[in-house]
Amino acid sequence: MAAPSSKQGDKPAAEPAKPETSQQQEKSAAALEEDDEFEDFPVEDWPAEETEAAAATTTTGGGNGTTTQHLWEESWDDDDTTDDFSTQLREELKKVEASKRR
Amino acid sequence: MALTAQFLTSIRGFLKALDGETLRDWLKVEPPLPQQYFDLAAELKKAYQDNAAIERLIEACLPEEDDVPEGQGTTWPGFAAFMKDYFEYWRDVDFNDLLGAHQLLTALTNSCATAFNNPTYGTIMLETSISLCSSLSKLTMTLNKRADLIRKLAALHAGDEERKSVIEVTAEIMQKFFITCLTDRSSPRYAQPTGKKIGVYIFANKTLKLLTMNHKSYMAAQLLTNVMAKSPPLSYYPAAQRVTYLYFLGRFHVNHTHYSRAAECFQEAYSQTPPHFQNHRRLILTYLIACNMLRGLLPSQALLQRPEAQSMAPCYAQLAQSIRTGNYVLFQHTIKQHEPWLRSKGLPLLTGLQYSLRALLWRSLARRTFLLTYVPPAGDESRRAATLELRHLETTMRYVQRRLEGYMPAPRVAPKGRQAGINSMLLKAVANSAGPGSADSTLVPPPGGPRRLPPDEGLLMGNMQVTAEHVEGVVASLIDQDFLHGYIAHSQGVFAIMGTKQKGSAVSAGWPPPSEAIAQRTAEPFVPGWVKEE
Repeated sequence: MAAPSSKQGDKPAAEPAKPETSQQQEKSAAALEEDDEFEDFPVEDWPAEETEAAAATTTTGGGNGTTTQHLWEESWDDDDTTDDFSTQLREELKKVEASKRR
Repeated sequence: MALTAQFLTSIRGFLKALDGETLRDWLKVEPPLPQQYFDLAAELKKAYQDNAAIERLIEACLPEEDDVPEGQGTTWPGFAAFMKDYFEYWRDVDFNDLLGAHQLLTALTNSCATAFNNPTYGTIMLETSISLCSSLSKLTMTLNKRADLIRKLAALHAGDEERKSVIEVTAEIMQKFFITCLTDRSSPRYAQPTGKKIGVYIFANKTLKLLTMNHKSYMAAQLLTNVMAKSPPLSYYPAAQRVTYLYFLGRFHVNHTHYSRAAECFQEAYSQTPPHFQNHRRLILTYLIACNMLRGLLPSQALLQRPEAQSMAPCYAQLAQSIRTGNYVLFQHTIKQHEPWLRSKGLPLLTGLQYSLRALLWRSLARRTFLLTYVPPAGDESRRAATLELRHLETTMRYVQRRLEGYMPAPRVAPKGRQAGINSMLLKAVANSAGPGSADSTLVPPPGGPRRLPPDEGLLMGNMQVTAEHVEGVVASLIDQDFLHGYIAHSQGVFAIMGTKQKGSAVSAGWPPPSEAIAQRTAEPFVPGWVKEE
């Protein structure tokens, strides 16, 4: 299973990982304790240059695309079928097909 | 001179000088307070138990002046009535009696709304109105959390024809200020706002916050309709107001399952909030990622590594991974594991993710099944359309359903003679005890029998078993949503892919990126509630 700190490419297995569960629950609880009210901002206004919207516009011509584009993935399909979940599905398909041929 | 008279004389001076800020600073209603306010309260208690006496005092100290020169102000009847309520408030308020204080502050804020509504002089009350609404809103939220006091209040109003909650009553009062600002004629709609128009989004934000934080954002529909009808564009207002408004407008749209509208609001709010407001960015991002996932956009690693994303990354990274691979088991596990956290962000967010992400999971599971089973035909057959056999999808869907019910992969029997020291008879016995289900499945049932699943778990619903009809229904619905490109050949039991040649591969032809399909389906000329420049 993918731990929160796992690197990209790590494949999560279908099984819930038991040792990590309690640790993650603690994390969830910690998140719950945070103050969730959308507080009034301490200042009324700020210059657009301080924001990401401005940064995105300035990097457009830089050849690397805008900042915003790096944040979201539109084509995210995973073609790797060597992960645990795929392996389990493959074995199941094989067994079911074999049982039908019998 | 008595303190009450001194106070009114000063107030008269601020009105004359049109100094709204100092007026606000003087018209305090809540702690922390300088000693003078307690002295003022003591004097009022002692000498002004009679309301008529207060009225006479105000008439004497705050006379309405005729022929006011340009650039100066004076009192007006609405303001005199407000000051009378203000003195009554200080005479009667007891900060230990929450219910009583709330009733007095409600009356005072109502009176302020009437004074603010004066077309000639009302504008000077803008800052005071903002301050009073903030105090009232805060007190209302505190009161609303006290079930004992709410019950007491309900008993007091038991005979009323229309019983309203404290949240509703406060929201209605705040909307009076909003309407006064919205209908102010000091500047045209599509011009930099002046006069009371400055306050449109301040009061809209206060109302939206109160309603959203108390699970009543559905009551904001009328306010948003009014914004659309009359408000100046949001871009004319300061950044803090813009971001706050877009955040609460986004929350409103999430609550009404308009995830694409909500995502647009959150995206704009997020990109307009500087990085040093990390707490605000964290809250906005919590909803932005969820809404973007629901419209087929997954957060990148770079985004999840940002400091403001740390509290949500464990949940969202796993959800994204389950969507990528069609791993429904991981998906359900993640939702259950993070349910308290998701619930704390509002039930609409939890249920949105729980139910509306399913189509993306089904799509990915169908894609995975295709990748695992499709063998391109050779020779003369090579021009035939690529297909996904529905019975294969039925197998993988059943597998997932069983895993959700607690079935586990059967232990493998080691090849003979390979592993010294392991009792092969024991391994055989374990394998045999797997039960009759093991002949056509790699899974064995859990020792106590399959888990009873609640309706929100399970691939379809609870323990409902997957049938061929369900599979065909799921595929048909995915085709209808443009998540799959092709058609069902019912008699052959396959999903046939169209456009393989143009796209270069069967899998990219059959499974176009869902974000495109969702964007086409949800495209709108504008987001309701968000006024843009003409």
